[in-house]
Amino acid sequence: MSATALLSLERITKRFGGLTAVREVSVEVRAGDLLGIIGPNGAGKTTLFNVIAGYYRADEGRVVFDGHDVTGRPAHAIAGLGLTRTFQIVKPFGNLSVLDNVMIGALTRLASTREARAEAERVIAVCGLGPHAVARARALPLGLRKRLEVARALATRPRLLLLDEVMAGLNPTELGGMIDLVRRLHADGLTLIVIEHIMAAMMRLAQRIVMLHHGEKIAEGTPREIASDRRVIDAYLGEEFVLAEA
Amino acid sequence: MARALARHWGALVIFGAAALIPIVVRDAYFLDSLVLILLWGALSAAWNVAGGYAGQVSIGHASFFGIGAYSAALLGARWQQSPWLGMLVGIALSLAAGAAIGYLSNRLKGPYFALSTIAFSQVLLIVASRWRAFTSGSEGIPVPFRPGFATLGLGHVAWVYLALAVAVLYWGVQVWLEHSRFGYRLAGVREDEDAAQALGIPARRLKVIAVTASAALTSVCGTLWAQYVGFVDPFYVFSVDLSVRFALNTIIGGMGTALGPFLGSILITSLETYLRATLSGVKSGFTGIYLIVYGVVLILVVRFVPDGLAGVAGRLRARRARAHA
Repeated sequence: MSATALLSLERITKRFGGLTAVREVSVEVRAGDLLGIIGPNGAGKTTLFNVIAGYYRADEGRVVFDGHDVTGRPAHAIAGLGLTRTFQIVKPFGNLSVLDNVMIGALTRLASTREARAEAERVIAVCGLGPHAVARARALPLGLRKRLEVARALATRPRLLLLDEVMAGLNPTELGGMIDLVRRLHADGLTLIVIEHIMAAMMRLAQRIVMLHHGEKIAEGTPREIASDRRVIDAYLGEEFVLAEA
Repeated sequence: MARALARHWGALVIFGAAALIPIVVRDAYFLDSLVLILLWGALSAAWNVAGGYAGQVSIGHASFFGIGAYSAALLGARWQQSPWLGMLVGIALSLAAGAAIGYLSNRLKGPYFALSTIAFSQVLLIVASRWRAFTSGSEGIPVPFRPGFATLGLGHVAWVYLALAVAVLYWGVQVWLEHSRFGYRLAGVREDEDAAQALGIPARRLKVIAVTASAALTSVCGTLWAQYVGFVDPFYVFSVDLSVRFALNTIIGGMGTALGPFLGSILITSLETYLRATLSGVKSGFTGIYLIVYGVVLILVVRFVPDGLAGVAGRLRARRARAHA
């Protein structure tokens, strides 16, 4: 483990009964990285997130965040250290307003509701949710609910943010907006791990990409290296992608 | 200040009216209804802390009501102690019971949590009705009337103000829940536990705290009720009917709203009092018809105003705000 790693996954294995969802995956993320995770459905991407964020306990291996061994710690404790995540299937606080949703995130670091409200308003503006601040979360269309998911996590002022398919299901305009948002957050110094199926977005965003297949890490490298990796092409991208890129 | 008034005018009207009524009305029957409305309202507010604000819907809150009622009645009957001491003992026991239930049923959600609370109240019912040597069993315990504030032997007017004080206090607890850091985070837990944890909220701990506090608040009213009515019957104080009533008042009035439990109590308690008086006379043969009316009211509310009566007020306000915008 290098001294500068913000997060290191050391040979993580997670089994469900006879199925090994994640097998001996090791990944290092340094502060300021934007790491992409790709892989076909069922490759273990979300399972890996659940292990990192404390929703599942790893059967083997260690998760070290910022020098703390957080393996097996509860999710709220890990989030308290500054590692938070969004959910692939969004989980808004449906009956509350957008502002209240984000305020609850802000209250993780702030004791006063007044300060948390101001912070939430700031984050809402950054995420482009300003016009919807008073709307009930459950009334939002999917594109905005994905943004809310990001805004709420951001309000906790994380040092590492795990984004689980925040771009899936967005229309082209929304997708462009989300890519811009993630870029801006990264430019502001946030460290991110992003799961995404949309390769075009991933190629533009990520500095490094990890490819999972059947729970194993089969490739890691820059987007260009990944796109030309024979194993990745065979398992995931297909020949058409290579031709289109070329 | 003006904004607080604008937001809480409903509470001001209700509690203000309750404070003024004893000055002009001396009719014991009417004042009795008022005490019950306030007590049932406070009890529903106590239930709301767990059911409405934390999303832990209990159908066993009679457990804590009964603990409060029995604590004071037994301490008074067996050891001639003040009901105030009984109230404190009830609070302590309910805190312990609430924490235990909250902790043990922590992983249970929705109907499973509700079922576990029913089970607990039934266990207490069996203990209270069978342990004759200590609780007098199914005969129940009479609470003798001894005049004075220390013994809670009060007249109707004094009872109105005591019940009012408790009602306002519980209302204040709920308002605090709507504006405090704890309350916001608890709302997050209620809405989605996984998402709350991702934000660093210790969801399980918050739920246990809410259920425990709710239990203690319920117990206080159990003590007061027993002293007011003057008799503790295990089949009443530990009954599912009673637990359902706390939930029903709150659902009809509006779950997770500060005023809802009181609105529900006003509607249901006065309806019941009126129907019992007019329809359940021996001659009319309509005994128990108020239960049918209950059911109809509940169906209508759930069908047409699922947010409860307080929700209707909120919707009207939103419409007015939109019209102004």
